[in-house]
Amino acid sequence: MSAVSSPDHPLLGLPGERRLLLGNEAIVRGALEAGVHLIACYPGTPSSEVPDAFYSMRGQGRFRMEYSVNEKVALEVAAGAALAGAMSLATMKHVGVNVAADPLLTSAYIGLPGGLVLLSADDPGCHSSQNEQDNRHYARFASLPCFEPASAQEAKDMTRAAFRLARELQQPVMLRVTTRVAHMRGPVEFGALPQTSPLVEFQRDPGRFVPVPAVALKRHKALAAALEQAARLAETSPFTRCRAATRPSRLGIIASGVARAYLADALTEGGWEDSVHILELGVTWPLPVEALGAFLSGCDRVLVLEEGAPLLENDLRALAQRRGLAALVEGKDADLTEQGEYSTSRVLRRVSSFLDCPRAVAPARGPLRAVRSDLPARAPNLCPGCSHRAVYYAARQVYGDAPVYSSDIGCYTLGMAPPLRMADFLVCMGSSVSAGSGFAAVSDRPVVAFIGDSTFFHSGMTGLANAVFNRHNLLLVILDNGTTAMTGHQPNPGMLQEDLGEAARHLDIEGVVRALGVTECARVGAFNLKALLGAFADMKEKSGVRVLIAEELCALYARRRRKTARRTVVVARQGDEARRCLERLACPAFCRDGDDVAVDQTLCVGCMVCLQAAPGVFKAVSHRQG
Amino acid sequence: MKKNAAQRRLRIYFTGVGGQGALTATSLLAHAALTAGLGVVAGEVHGMAQRGGVVESALLLGGWRSPRLDFGEADVLLGFEPLETLRGLPYLKPGGAVFSSSDPLPPLSVSLGAARYPDLAEIEAEIRQTAGRHRFLPCRKLGLAAGSAQSGNTALLGAVCAADILPFGLEELQSAIRYFLPARIQEANLKALSLGAEA
Repeated sequence: MSAVSSPDHPLLGLPGERRLLLGNEAIVRGALEAGVHLIACYPGTPSSEVPDAFYSMRGQGRFRMEYSVNEKVALEVAAGAALAGAMSLATMKHVGVNVAADPLLTSAYIGLPGGLVLLSADDPGCHSSQNEQDNRHYARFASLPCFEPASAQEAKDMTRAAFRLARELQQPVMLRVTTRVAHMRGPVEFGALPQTSPLVEFQRDPGRFVPVPAVALKRHKALAAALEQAARLAETSPFTRCRAATRPSRLGIIASGVARAYLADALTEGGWEDSVHILELGVTWPLPVEALGAFLSGCDRVLVLEEGAPLLENDLRALAQRRGLAALVEGKDADLTEQGEYSTSRVLRRVSSFLDCPRAVAPARGPLRAVRSDLPARAPNLCPGCSHRAVYYAARQVYGDAPVYSSDIGCYTLGMAPPLRMADFLVCMGSSVSAGSGFAAVSDRPVVAFIGDSTFFHSGMTGLANAVFNRHNLLLVILDNGTTAMTGHQPNPGMLQEDLGEAARHLDIEGVVRALGVTECARVGAFNLKALLGAFADMKEKSGVRVLIAEELCALYARRRRKTARRTVVVARQGDEARRCLERLACPAFCRDGDDVAVDQTLCVGCMVCLQAAPGVFKAVSHRQG
Repeated sequence: MKKNAAQRRLRIYFTGVGGQGALTATSLLAHAALTAGLGVVAGEVHGMAQRGGVVESALLLGGWRSPRLDFGEADVLLGFEPLETLRGLPYLKPGGAVFSSSDPLPPLSVSLGAARYPDLAEIEAEIRQTAGRHRFLPCRKLGLAAGSAQSGNTALLGAVCAADILPFGLEELQSAIRYFLPARIQEANLKALSLGAEA
């Protein structure tokens, strides 16, 4: 994430320019081409590059953007702006849409005149998520037209089309990507960039915009009508693409999302392009039922390729029954399941058996290498100099295995791994406080909960208010590293004012905690091991809701931010104590040198925690900045 | 015509350790391919992988639409760390080419004594069983000789380029370095590229 805005940003290139863009960057360009006015988001992989690219272009008067404190707030801010007539974009990862579901469903009832696009970035395969929920369910659930790109170029073009549709229908529209599309890189040809686009003036109309029961019922009908119109538009959309087989065939394949890409490659590899009818769906809700019906009536068997839930597959079965069509619809099976991702090979195998036709391209010679599960693991880990490690180390020294450790979503979840083992359960963002409260309410074991600064503002504050209100009993440790670290150092209210600049205001975490009624609150520097150990020991003796705020900037963030003389640590005394420290802290900067312990000087950032944990074993060395 | 196009279809799998620059190397090759007028799709995975974990990416040249590779699909495997080369071998199409750094970065599990890092000879033996050709390169040494350990990745790209496997040459890669990398590290990377090509 760039800290300065650039007037000649690559995403502001001229029409006709062709650039290699990330899917997420292409979405940004598409929104700019549509004339987006406001962007609100909560960062989350695989969506984060979208708001981050807008942030890197901020302050040029083209748009207003904000990192909201959570997804519900982001969607509400975007919805408010769309009520005021602005084209607005709300971006979040798939689980974030759960947080935003309340405003989402009702904003579809009242309709948003300016046009709102919701980017839902799903994560089949759980590359960086706690589940692989399929948010196409939300498009159906909330009655949102849904676009699903499968290339970087489509990501741009569909974003622009989604905004135009959102404004035409005055209804929120979903743009749904998956990790592979968000993080694919491909050539994108730019379209025209408008200087400004007009706002739709707000006309006071409580009979539409205030959904009391009588209004809501009326608006539910209006929503159905809008969706019917969207279905008609989907019939002739350039993103609904049908290609008939050039040889006589009664077989068809319908694909959506990234499965369209795997299908195209499998057909080329197999040499089957001419022998099967193909329907690619780019608009996946509402369905273009006339096009689908015509396709089904031309086929005896139809294979549906879609990652995730068999939504399209089941809708096609229902359509065939409604229309009395005999086409047999096939989809999920033992290989192409609802779990994980598809691939060219898997689609190729399935298409081969569907067509009962061996592939034209000869398979590779020799067997594949088997996956070796016996290799040394290389799991993601807390970085060298991560302040969370120091806090976890101190907590374990004081508490040991007696409590349950209630974790939350952020880098600090990585503390679950041995030897720190600082996560016993996790539900969702913000749950450390409230699920921890519930656990403690029925258990004899003490509960120590961990939450980061951004997650505290996201949804930890509400849980903390509840914990105080309902007289719960837990220690909440707020791991304040001054940034939203896991997703790439986005601003949050806990970030230092000097880093936030003019557009945003710092909120003091301790002030918020105390204002919520917490009386037992301490604040310590996370690299001060003695103070940490003392604070934990003190909190352990008390009961009720207690909060310990451990402050130290994220090591990666601090490295980018500061230019101070570098200090590192070297081993001064080998032996059992040095080995024990390696085993207990498990800092990635430690390595083995035969039987000795060494500190990799290129990785050590000089947090000096090991120096305090094992006095006399390590010593600090200073380096002149080159 | 069609056969020609199919011959130029190439799928490359990259693997390495977070922070090594595997994604930058992928982007460099992607830009070079675009300069050469080829169809390009690259696939990356961001997020968790950056915290010292394994980073994998894919580059598909010559008209593919998919952004990812499955087991047995890669014509070329580029490993920026030998253990990760070994872990990534299932992605290689039997008979494909492997180019790997020979400089280990032991994971924490090895430092903690919980696991054993395989010998380079063992890794090479496994590669031989599936690869049609392979090459180990002392990337760290070449990178340091060029001016920075980080540029060792580019040396590996140079070696692949010199092996005449890619549908473009050193020239396209040089212009990608000038276009894509920050000015202060261009010289080291250009030097690493030629050191790798000559190694």
